[in-house]
Amino acid sequence: MKELRLAKKILKTLVKDRIQYPGRLMADTLTTTGRCGVLLLLYYYVFNLKGGVINNTTFIVAAWSIFFYFAFMNLGLRNISRLIMSDVQSGNIEVLLNKPISYLLYRSWWQIGAGLYPFLFITILGSAVLALIIGIPDTMALGIFLPTIFLTFIMAIVLSLLIYIMVGLLSFWIIDINPAFWIVDKFVMILGGSYLPVALFPNFLYKISLYSPFGASQFMTHSVYESWATNWYLLIAIQTVWIIILGFFTFIIFSKVKRKVSVNGG
Amino acid sequence: MNKEIKFALYAIKKNIQNGAELRGSFLLNIFGMAINNIAFIFLWIYFIKSVGVIGGWTAPDIIGLQVFVSISYGLVFSCAMGIRKIPEYVSSGAFDRYLLSPKNLLIRIATASFNASAIGDLLYGLVCFAVYAILISITFYQFWMMLVLIIFAMIALLAMTILIGASSFFFTDPQAVTAGFFDLFFTPSMFHGGAFQGALRFVFTFIIPSLVIGTLPAEAVRSLSFSKLALVGILSFVWLFISIKFFNYAIKKYESTNFMTFGN
Repeated sequence: MKELRLAKKILKTLVKDRIQYPGRLMADTLTTTGRCGVLLLLYYYVFNLKGGVINNTTFIVAAWSIFFYFAFMNLGLRNISRLIMSDVQSGNIEVLLNKPISYLLYRSWWQIGAGLYPFLFITILGSAVLALIIGIPDTMALGIFLPTIFLTFIMAIVLSLLIYIMVGLLSFWIIDINPAFWIVDKFVMILGGSYLPVALFPNFLYKISLYSPFGASQFMTHSVYESWATNWYLLIAIQTVWIIILGFFTFIIFSKVKRKVSVNGG
Repeated sequence: MNKEIKFALYAIKKNIQNGAELRGSFLLNIFGMAINNIAFIFLWIYFIKSVGVIGGWTAPDIIGLQVFVSISYGLVFSCAMGIRKIPEYVSSGAFDRYLLSPKNLLIRIATASFNASAIGDLLYGLVCFAVYAILISITFYQFWMMLVLIIFAMIALLAMTILIGASSFFFTDPQAVTAGFFDLFFTPSMFHGGAFQGALRFVFTFIIPSLVIGTLPAEAVRSLSFSKLALVGILSFVWLFISIKFFNYAIKKYESTNFMTFGN
């Protein structure tokens, strides 16, 4: 109960804070437009050139899949790695570890809170614009779509946080985690279906995407394909398995790093 | 002018020496970034495999695109990273310190910071250059054309970075806004160039010159097009001229935040 109250407080405070900075919302919107908007225009041209269908996938399906990836990016969950690194480098970790709250939970809620407002704004606005301009794929009209995408979205948040927390915890051993962060981030980018939608993947890459934690952390991008109606439970099961595995490793690593903390001076 | 160039070279040397002090982190940044960049080649080559040839672009063209974008990015941000930090200097009040410097303001700011990972971009770009040269069996003319185009691409990237950095003086939250502007400009430069056609190509060439730093140079080399070479050259210098004018105009809007720390 205490944890829930803390989470609510953090989310409320950070959402209120973000509302005060319209410039940041503008920046997030520009970034999404620069990446996702331009990419969709390119794909529109490419699909038209290829007769409207590539690899049995239509433009509408590919566009929504790409949009879900970029909308999710606005939550900024990956920034938790750098936040942990910054806590370690500044020595702030000592203060946070001594508080009667779970450090990792605190940082996770903080990250979700910081990205919630731009995520909601851009997702709602982007979805409305996409639906008006290109329409929605048939899968999105199914009754199971909303509850299943919500479930996979929650799983994706947890899984993404676990992946990036593990990268962040490396900062207890190495000074600069950025190189590790870039490489993991690129795995998520490729296997998550960002610039190349998963439906256009060759078979072996699709399998890697399906069974790796990097691809599993972006399974919302699969939800617009026809196969979603029959295999959504398999994808959610894969996410659950990865959450259990990574959760276990995060717990073990975090227990080790807590013993490793040494703060000098003060 | 000679004095200013000497100062800039000295500052760059010191920046690199300073960055290299933390040797492990420095090397990890360089090689980490080089490995990280491979993702883009991987992505766009799979795009070509899935979608087929678009706008005449094949796998070597993707590598050519990477050559121009990475080398220009690496050179600009290993030598002039300070320009990207203008928003930070403006919002923290650290800009006062540069205004008071007797050196050329733009050179002073540009060489105030260094990005170790940009050396990784440069390294990656050079490896791509070698691979590209082998793949297209590069001729003598194409080789020299590439060198000239890399300089033009670098100028265009520098110009846009100055322009975006200078816009910081007009916003209350400059770091976030300029990061968004930079993304809007830079991200399309890494996309498959053949897919930019019609109005989209016009917009990203003349209004937001993203294609000037990668796509147009890669196409110019492939088809030995001197008209494209001239277009890239003209656009680079026009944007450089506009950006310097805009920078000089924008600094007049600067209001010191009056921090008592003299920018620290």
